[in-house]
Amino acid sequence: MDKKTFIFAGIVIALIIAAMAPFIASSNPDGLESAFFGIFGAKELQGSSLDEEMAGSAEEEVAGITGNVFSFDSPFPDYSISGLAKFGEAAAVIFGTLLVVLVAWGLGKVISRPH
Amino acid sequence: MHIPDAFIPLPQAAVYWIIALIFIALALRWARRELSEEKIPLVAILAAGIFAIQAVNIPIPWGTSGHMMGAALAAIVLGSPFAAVFILTLVLIVQGVLFGDGGLTVMGANIINMGVIGGFVGYYSYRAFYPIFKSPYAPAFIAGWLSLFIAALACAVEMALAGTFPLGLGLFSMGMYHAVIGIIEGGITASAIYLIATARPDIMANTEGVPA
Repeated sequence: MDKKTFIFAGIVIALIIAAMAPFIASSNPDGLESAFFGIFGAKELQGSSLDEEMAGSAEEEVAGITGNVFSFDSPFPDYSISGLAKFGEAAAVIFGTLLVVLVAWGLGKVISRPH
Repeated sequence: MHIPDAFIPLPQAAVYWIIALIFIALALRWARRELSEEKIPLVAILAAGIFAIQAVNIPIPWGTSGHMMGAALAAIVLGSPFAAVFILTLVLIVQGVLFGDGGLTVMGANIINMGVIGGFVGYYSYRAFYPIFKSPYAPAFIAGWLSLFIAALACAVEMALAGTFPLGLGLFSMGMYHAVIGIIEGGITASAIYLIATARPDIMANTEGVPA
């Protein structure tokens, strides 16, 4: 495979994964969240049902323990674009993927410039 | 495994940031020395692919899910653990700042777990297992699994230091979930290396033949 085809194929594969992600991703808590909910009593560590109310209070409780109450409103929280459902999420992940390509490529160019 | 802000007290989060910044500086030095015109597109593709695949949470038992981390893949393909630090840092910054995925005050800890520990465990376990199998795929699977599993245990230790999880229960639960998620990490790492090595054997050549 020549260089250009390889780059093109790589970016296309990343974008396909990005576009599909919101439709195929599991909404179960991830490993760290699951451990957290389990330890704070919102879920059994080896069970699958999550007590939403307990989960909410666990989040308040942990901020009380660590004292880290920093919060920040990201523009697209949890890969969502307000008003747009799954297609908004797909757009957000595609946007992020393209941004990562540009930043990585640009940074690579700047850093590797001959000195 | 993206730690949110509330999970670590600010003074500890600052320490993780300082350690992370040291590795980021080393990763930038790696990039300045090693990034040729040839490798820049590969770094960009790997970064994009890793960002995208991190959005795909795959269900595992116990009502839980997990996604690939990608550090082992980046380190193996580019032949340096600092490649993983470089790529994962970029990915984590975009995730944290734009999408609220992983906290900002605790981003140093996330960079350490997923970039530094993931990258170093992935790279060196690949190199350790390569001479035994004399083929990249089994070592890539093992490297992927170990990189995720060890990063998860490190995360559990950080949670214990933070007072968020008790140490034993944290190690047990993080270990249990990530032992399974590691199968995903190992499988995708080996598959991606197969695809890259098939499409561009020249890129992989120097990695496949790494001396033990």
